[in-house]
Amino acid sequence: MDLPADTILSVQNLEKTFDNGVRALKNISFDVKRGEFLVVIGLSGSGKSTLLRCLNRMHDPTAGKIFFQNENVTDWQGPQVRELRRKIAMIFQHFNLVTRHTVLNNVLMGSLAIMPTWKSLLGLFPESLQKKAMGYLQLVGIQEKARIRAGQLSGGQQQRVAIARALMQEPQLLLADEPVASLDPATCHVVMDYLEKVNRELGVTVICNLHFLSLVRRYATRVIALKAGEIVFQGSPADIDEEWFRRIYGESAKEVHVN
Amino acid sequence: MLTKKNGSLKALILDSFTFGYLASVVLLVLSQPDESSLMELGRNTLIFSLLVAVGAVVAFILEKKGVVSLGNFIFELAHLKMLRTPKAWYRNFWLWQLLISFVVTLIVGFKLTDFSMYDLLDESGFQGAVRIFSALLSPEWSVLPRAVLAIIETIYIAFMATVMAIPVAFVLAFFAAKNIMGRTVGGLAIYFSLRTLLNVSRSIEPLIWAIIFSVWVGIGPFAGMLALFFHSISSLTKQYSEIIESADEGPIEGITATGANSIQVVWYAIVPQVILPYIAFTIYRWDINVRMATIIGLVGGGGIGTLLIQYQGQAMWHEVGTLALLIVVIVWSMDTVSAYLREALK
Repeated sequence: MDLPADTILSVQNLEKTFDNGVRALKNISFDVKRGEFLVVIGLSGSGKSTLLRCLNRMHDPTAGKIFFQNENVTDWQGPQVRELRRKIAMIFQHFNLVTRHTVLNNVLMGSLAIMPTWKSLLGLFPESLQKKAMGYLQLVGIQEKARIRAGQLSGGQQQRVAIARALMQEPQLLLADEPVASLDPATCHVVMDYLEKVNRELGVTVICNLHFLSLVRRYATRVIALKAGEIVFQGSPADIDEEWFRRIYGESAKEVHVN
Repeated sequence: MLTKKNGSLKALILDSFTFGYLASVVLLVLSQPDESSLMELGRNTLIFSLLVAVGAVVAFILEKKGVVSLGNFIFELAHLKMLRTPKAWYRNFWLWQLLISFVVTLIVGFKLTDFSMYDLLDESGFQGAVRIFSALLSPEWSVLPRAVLAIIETIYIAFMATVMAIPVAFVLAFFAAKNIMGRTVGGLAIYFSLRTLLNVSRSIEPLIWAIIFSVWVGIGPFAGMLALFFHSISSLTKQYSEIIESADEGPIEGITATGANSIQVVWYAIVPQVILPYIAFTIYRWDINVRMATIIGLVGGGGIGTLLIQYQGQAMWHEVGTLALLIVVIVWSMDTVSAYLREALK
């Protein structure tokens, strides 16, 4: 498969049907260029989360192909899938940190994939990794919390730890599944700003699911809209006008602004 | 559709047995069989099975007539239950079915346990009670040193059984947890066979294990320790695996998404979540084991129980009183300490 050199990810005719018969994704095709900040929008249940989880193979697609860095990763198994997950980091709506471990330990967990199993079980993270982890904590502005239990941090701080953990994987692509959906409006922007920083300064391509259109206009370089598992819109955030908005979210929808 | 069928099958089985059971009791009362005909297990089993079969026919007819029997009431799916219009309580068939079965069982129970107010309260029996209580309450302190040594043995039997069961249960618990094994067909197969094995071995009381091991390794503390060890493995594995099953999926997903392998996921995402409840349950298990160690001592498991059965056999009630008092003190303090520890770990 010869894709343009700047294409990091190519999704072709992706289908996902769950065991219970729900068809979550229908014939999804799109390309992502290196360095993009791609935002996926759509109602709850439109398939956004399923789509992201197919990309790092947390879900196995039913049909279709996924090319990551010019390689067909759709049928990868075992160690290959783990290597894929290392290169495609992910952050989550509920942060998914290990709340009983310290912040620093949580960040170090981003390097589990490159550690020998026995060393990681004994917690023997080398000095170099510890330094790197502290560096990423500094990047997201919470290095002073390194020794605190992750569960004691606020939601916004936990999401920043999750970003640091993701960066620890040295990913080429970062998936963000509703990263600010359980945060207050002010904290929303803090977290989104860090994602933007990761995207612009570290050159990590970002694919992000979002709810609020105002955030989409502020952060996205490109938008995909899903409705009932199908792509209904693909383009620049500026192109989503009233009409498109109603088409994506339904006739009775009203736009809510987050400032 | 499948679950609906399953539900009505369970209902049919339950109803058949209650009807068959009631019919058997009626038959017993009417025929007043003598000892020898009660001993004919094969024939009686056949009669009971026939009555259950008749019960099944009755239950089937009731089902077709739309009568809500006890089985329907218990196993019916919640969303179907909501569709039904409520009736006055005394017009519910299932309620009468339950009530009659219960009352009949209670009457049979009184009969079978030889329940007698007369024996409990008559003059000579009452004097027996006074005799044993006065003996128990005036302990013979000279046996105290032996008793203390024996109860120390009991505590250590319980401790060793618990501690040795921990690593085994720790490993087995992951294979008995559905959220870990349920992802592949092979995993599910291991899960179900291990669960079945555990349920069977858990239903073998430590008392039975103690009888087995007192023959195997000889009477003494080692037999008692092995008995409690086996029982603790199945109990702890069950409890540990339930804790694992209630673990938050978030961290598991989070660590899996970093590319970690499954051993790393277990160690970093699951173990931190389960460790405190594990400790609490394990302390509680030790506590239970001390009490059980006393009982299995009665059948040759060593420790204070063995001493107790010796004195009881010789009707040395003052000595038995000493042991009883010591057991109460130890069990009560272990109970209190473990309750405080478990509370602190929450």
